[in-house]
Amino acid sequence: MWLVLCDPFDAAALWAYRGLSARGLNPLELISTEVLLRALTWEHRLGVDGIRLRISLAKNRTITHDSVRGVLNRLSFIDPQLLAPAPQAERNYATQEMTALFMSWLAALPCPVLNRPVAQGLSGSWRHPSEWNYLAAQAGLATHTYRQSASEQTSKGLYSGLTGAFGFTAHTVFVVRESFVHCRTAALPLSINDACLRLGALARTDLLGIQLSADDSWTFLSATPQPDLRAGGAGLLNALTFSLRDEARKEQ
Amino acid sequence: MKHGKNNRPHAKVVGFLRLCRSDVRRKFINMILLCGIPSESPIALVRERLEAAHLPYVMFSQRRFAEMDLEFEISGNQVRGFLRIGEATHRLEEFTGVYTRLMDDQHLPELQSEPPGSRSRRHARGLHDALLRWSEITPALVVNRATPMGSNFSKPFQAQMILRAGFRTPETLITNDPDLVRDFHHRHGRIIYKSMSGVRSIVQTFEEKDYDRLHHIRWCPTQFQAYVEGTNIRVHTLGAEVFATAIKTDATDYRYARKQIGDYAELEATCLDDDTAERCIQLARVLELPFAGIDLKVTPDGEVYCFEVNPSPAYSYYESNTGQSISHALARMLANPPN
Repeated sequence: MWLVLCDPFDAAALWAYRGLSARGLNPLELISTEVLLRALTWEHRLGVDGIRLRISLAKNRTITHDSVRGVLNRLSFIDPQLLAPAPQAERNYATQEMTALFMSWLAALPCPVLNRPVAQGLSGSWRHPSEWNYLAAQAGLATHTYRQSASEQTSKGLYSGLTGAFGFTAHTVFVVRESFVHCRTAALPLSINDACLRLGALARTDLLGIQLSADDSWTFLSATPQPDLRAGGAGLLNALTFSLRDEARKEQ
Repeated sequence: MKHGKNNRPHAKVVGFLRLCRSDVRRKFINMILLCGIPSESPIALVRERLEAAHLPYVMFSQRRFAEMDLEFEISGNQVRGFLRIGEATHRLEEFTGVYTRLMDDQHLPELQSEPPGSRSRRHARGLHDALLRWSEITPALVVNRATPMGSNFSKPFQAQMILRAGFRTPETLITNDPDLVRDFHHRHGRIIYKSMSGVRSIVQTFEEKDYDRLHHIRWCPTQFQAYVEGTNIRVHTLGAEVFATAIKTDATDYRYARKQIGDYAELEATCLDDDTAERCIQLARVLELPFAGIDLKVTPDGEVYCFEVNPSPAYSYYESNTGQSISHALARMLANPPN
């Protein structure tokens, strides 16, 4: 099976699920954090026999370490509210324990996972805007000056791109597995294309969304391992399908 | 470099200290920033070493937050800024070595009587956040950056990296199914349970009486491990330097030996074989931790198991019980950061 994992109400994940299914990634399951937290049985082993996984879900669905062919992973965090009605202290503890479990079982899957959990997050590297700004400059992208003090945090234009999810004020560039760059709203100059690839590599993130200003400067605005995939359209879906299938073939 | 059972400062350390004193006027000396509570043992020890060597350092004392300000700017590839402490101002670019052991700023004693959202609380929060953000991107050596520490938030996640580094890890079962635990217990005999996240827990042996409450795991998957017989060894790595400490106790968790068996654990400096020492160094490198506390267990048959890598080791406990010069090595690393 193929999996799309997501937080509840992730519309972009639902959109991607439909698109990937239409492109032949079947059987494809869309599974939310809520469903995973209510799993009937968790069995995760590490030892001399390797790493094993079995998650029994409702409706007779089972995820095992060797039954999954590829994953689009958009899990970002475990919402403590999903663990109500446990008392607050126990809910906080259980949230941290479940997050630790999720980090492990997702990291252990031998199939392609876009994005794998890392120390900084369940679905790729979540970084502070200051870090993204610095990495973008190292990758060769033009950046705004970022300033932070004990009393304020400012960056001219740093967050302006967030309003441009559909290209009104920014271009969204998708980098997939450090080899594919896609931007639906503009043709990228080669130098910008290469800089985006370098940013994906520096960020060590297989699926990265980068927002650049919609002017000739292509100034970096923001980046995220969980972009709104809808901004990538059919081109991005094709890239995701190809990437998951291609990596799955290599794993075999 | 391995440091063995000799409790006296090694010749290299003494020579290094003499070199620093004589060179202080001839060479540009790297500036060191220490961040935390000055009296906390790990910070206090390294301060002593730096002062003995006349190495300049600045103390970011969390409790003086009201007198401090920090501002930085990222312009292209350049990171510039300043740290003001009282009347003194320091350029952030001058710091080449940073050691951080920060407590939660919102729990500082000076803020105990402050209401939520007060000006003081906001200033403390803003100051510490600016320090954290700067420390994540500065080209200085930071011991240790916050980001790599995240692997410790999931023990089984970190265990996968430990396995890839060539260590054994205990047989582990994480489950919410009591029947699987019964089977695991039956197969392995003695098993223990502990938290999988960064929440500190006391390692406990699973006993027959625990079957009565085993059904509770249905609410939250729990981590069980086969108990490994052998000698606990804490390994501190600082770059390429290795300090191994053997811990002798009958307690399940040596950190709580007094509570569990009524007697403190005994610590003794020891040596690792070259292969194990090198694997420890590489593991810390892969985890991007210039300073790591690695928990090993060596079985009577000589098999080496690794349980965990601690990204913020409270090394002073081990140094004070064995005389191992871990603080000297830390001071050396901060004063001469590797390229």
